[in-house]
Amino acid sequence: MASWWERFLDWLRSLFFKKEMELSLIGLQNAGKTSLVNVVATGAFHEDMIPTVGFNMRKVTRGSVTIKLWDLGGQPRFRSMWERYCRGVQAIVYCVDAADHDSLDTARQELHDLLTKPSLAGIPLLVLGNKNDLPGALSTNELIDRLDLKSLRAREVCVYSISCKNQSNIDMTIDWLTKHAKS
Amino acid sequence: MAATAQDPSAPLRGPEKKDEDRDEDTEYSPFYGIEKGAVLQEARIFNDAHIDPRKCQQVITKLLYLLCQGETFSQKEATEVFFSVTKLFQNKDANLRRMVYLVVKDVCPASDEVIMITSSLMKDMNSKTDLYRSNAIRVLCSITDAQLLGQIERYLKQAVVDKSPVVASAVLVSALHLLSHNSEIVKRWTNEIQEAVQSKQPMVQFHAVALLHALRANDRLAVSKLVTSLTKGPVRSPLAQCLLVRYVAQVISESQAASGNDSRPFYDWLESCLRHKAEMVIFEAARAICNMAEVSARELTPAVTVLQLFLSSSKPVLRFAAVRTLNKVAMTHPMAVTNCNIDMENLISDQNRSIATLAITTLLKTGNESSVERLLKQIGNFMSDIADEFKIVVVEAIRSLCLKFPQKYRALMNFLSNVLREDGGFEYKKAIVDSILILIREIPDAKEPGLGHLCEFIEDCEFTYLSTQILHLLGVEGPKTKDPAKYIRFIYNRIILENATVRAAAVSSLARFGALVQELHPRILILLRRALHDNDDEVRDRATLYLQQLEGQAGGLDAVDVKWNIPAKNLEQGLKKYMENGFQKPFDLASVPVAVAASPAKERKAPGRTLAAPAPTQAPKKQDDHAALLKTLPQLAGLGPVFKSSAPAQLTEEETEYNIVVVKHVFASHVVFQFNCTNTVAEQVLENVSVAMDLAEAEDFEEEAVLPLASMAYGSVGQTYVVLARPEGSMALGKFVNILKFKVKEIDPSTGETEEEGYEDEYQLEDVEVTPADYIKPVAVANFRSVWEELDPESEMADDYGLGLRDSLQDAVEAVIGILGMQACEGSDAVPPNARSHTALLAGVIVGDVQVLVRLSFGIDVSRQVAMKMVVRSDGRDVSEAIHQIIQDA
Repeated sequence: MASWWERFLDWLRSLFFKKEMELSLIGLQNAGKTSLVNVVATGAFHEDMIPTVGFNMRKVTRGSVTIKLWDLGGQPRFRSMWERYCRGVQAIVYCVDAADHDSLDTARQELHDLLTKPSLAGIPLLVLGNKNDLPGALSTNELIDRLDLKSLRAREVCVYSISCKNQSNIDMTIDWLTKHAKS
Repeated sequence: MAATAQDPSAPLRGPEKKDEDRDEDTEYSPFYGIEKGAVLQEARIFNDAHIDPRKCQQVITKLLYLLCQGETFSQKEATEVFFSVTKLFQNKDANLRRMVYLVVKDVCPASDEVIMITSSLMKDMNSKTDLYRSNAIRVLCSITDAQLLGQIERYLKQAVVDKSPVVASAVLVSALHLLSHNSEIVKRWTNEIQEAVQSKQPMVQFHAVALLHALRANDRLAVSKLVTSLTKGPVRSPLAQCLLVRYVAQVISESQAASGNDSRPFYDWLESCLRHKAEMVIFEAARAICNMAEVSARELTPAVTVLQLFLSSSKPVLRFAAVRTLNKVAMTHPMAVTNCNIDMENLISDQNRSIATLAITTLLKTGNESSVERLLKQIGNFMSDIADEFKIVVVEAIRSLCLKFPQKYRALMNFLSNVLREDGGFEYKKAIVDSILILIREIPDAKEPGLGHLCEFIEDCEFTYLSTQILHLLGVEGPKTKDPAKYIRFIYNRIILENATVRAAAVSSLARFGALVQELHPRILILLRRALHDNDDEVRDRATLYLQQLEGQAGGLDAVDVKWNIPAKNLEQGLKKYMENGFQKPFDLASVPVAVAASPAKERKAPGRTLAAPAPTQAPKKQDDHAALLKTLPQLAGLGPVFKSSAPAQLTEEETEYNIVVVKHVFASHVVFQFNCTNTVAEQVLENVSVAMDLAEAEDFEEEAVLPLASMAYGSVGQTYVVLARPEGSMALGKFVNILKFKVKEIDPSTGETEEEGYEDEYQLEDVEVTPADYIKPVAVANFRSVWEELDPESEMADDYGLGLRDSLQDAVEAVIGILGMQACEGSDAVPPNARSHTALLAGVIVGDVQVLVRLSFGIDVSRQVAMKMVVRSDGRDVSEAIHQIIQDA
């Protein structure tokens, strides 16, 4: 009887407090998207990952929030399909390799191309400068300049500098994400 | 279809609707009448944030249903569906997952899109659930490219030897598909596949055996080795064993030529399979044995024995399989199947009509003369129960039986006329009428009763086509019978009772009687006058015309029965040309060329190329063509009717400048050689073409006339003739050396004009021989024995001959029939397999209309030496002697 009551309470609680959100994680290849998912989901970091062919879907539960993460491949052939998986999500996470200065121009181009799509208007954007453990990694301000984030209007934009390897600023990132969860 | 299984109350119909429907129609597809557009709309729920697995499964089921029904999705629709479905990946609901795998395989979006799911599938491939693993492997292998395959190869290789049968089977089947374009990778797994063959799981073993074979399919030796090792090895699963039996059968058929038939490889193994536990293996082995080329009666016996057991099985499938196989065996080895006749007779009353029909046709094939009547009685009992298409099969079987046993024509003809009176569709009636027509043509004795049956049939025939056909036949055959008057009533009844088309045919038929039978002439005139007031124009016109002709006007009596000697094709072309020219003058029938192009159909296909020698089956038709052609030549009119025309023979190599085909026409006192000439050189025209025949080796002949061909243009076929005289009625033999003589005129390739000047040239042709067979016409007799008795015993001559070493008795029989050119009677040209002796009955007519019957007794000994005793009876002793002379000379 007691356990039954307990379960009923749980169910009630979940009705009122449980939040669910859907995220798309995009970015150029080798920016550290799949590593980030692994760190968020399991807390472990693996050095060498094989490139994502297509997409991975992960469900991560943090507190009362269940996050459905669409981790999309970053190779050029998949970039045209990002838009399909960004429609209707609560936030778009754009991952950048902050230490790879050469690819930043491409990264800016792809990001701005994507965000002009009318179907994605108003969706909050979180830009993550990954790999800040490496020497020569750009700071958040430098990233804002290089990616020309100031020009993005009519949506919430936030930039963090993180490192999956050292797991720095990961908690901050998760906090930002859970805040944007739909109740 | 998981959704329907889960949800029997078919969600597509509301409950209230279901109640309404229950009365009228209890069972229909829950997907009846769904539309693509609506389902694609529904597929949008895949994009919802909250996925309802149950609902999604239903939508996927509908999508799959549409695809299975042959609906196609446009590229855009497929893309849309595919990306929506990818949103369902990794769902926790196991059934939904399976449906997702299925639909991804079937929707087949563009290849650059389908790789989207690769990562997810690879994750599934390493999941802990076997079901996901196997499905992921199947999908992955079907969408993968060579590069990606390299990445996942390691997993696949491991999966081949996976403990779970679903996973192992999935890889093995996928590998079979991969083999077509990525065989290299699959070949690297051979060790694992060998291990999978040892598996205890039946499905895995089955798939592994199939894959091993497919890997070696191009290498006959390797297949043979594989089969050898597998037959000794551990193949236990019935499915795998069936497969192995098929491979063995293949190896046997391929090794046939090399090994001869005394020690057939693997036969013992096949025989051991006949004692297998599983019925399917037994059947497969029995079928393999029955299908072996040149199978001997001893080899067949065990297979036929197990099939016989199947005949009395309670399972319809087994009965059907067995009777079908035996039916095939009966075509080649009727004796081997006779043991099963009793079981087969029980099957005639089988509930399953397919089984019953097969049983009957088999019995008809194996039956001997004495059982014909009994069989017919049994068939008659159930004829009314079966569908028309089966009845047609039965009718055809009876027709062939009747040709085999001409003496039984009375019983068989009665049967046909009985079934003709029963209800049936057009196709069925047509089959019966066709059969009777063929029997009338083939068996002279059957003509009068056959015509009688047909007369009765048209009294109550609802098919205009059949009525007109029969009326025409009556017009042709009726006047030649002993009592033509009795048909008049039947035909005249048609004029009174039937529709216009039949009435017109009946008028024509009556007119024939009037023209050909003198004593009926006045009566026919009276009858035809009655048709003058018919209310149909065609009937009236015909009646008027025929009356005039019968009274001696408008061409007179001969015109009634017009011999139409213009080929329909030429007439058609003439009429077409006439219509193009716009009807200025009346159409002149005389302008239509009477000559037939030797082979118009072939010529059109390859203009200007050499004519291939026509297939032997065309020969009879050809003869008619040639005969018509000969009639058009006034020079040959005095020779009388053609006794026999030979099959065309090529006198030149193929692909030479000139292509010459000779046809020999034998007349009472002449032989006419017809040379069909084709010029294959575009740049020249041949004129004044003739053939010079050297009579040095044929003293009995005398050249009487040469009819040269005036001009032979490129690609067209022309004829030149040589007429040789010989003593009347004699069988003069000889060999002729031939030279083609002609005048060549070049054609200027630029202008296409022929040059004025030409030069004489000649061309050596191959020799032509006149053989005894040219003077013998194969004419079947219905009842060999009675005709034999009628012939004067005094004319009988018998002698023994040694035919030397022969491959088989059949070979010897065919050779002798070929030399004599006579017709084998009562199916005696077919030697039962492995028979040590055989009797063949031949009939023929020799030039001068002398009937000859030959009875040949063959015997073969162990060393394949064939001996023959030939007994000849004919109208005269000298003729019998001549026949013996033919064999002695050969």
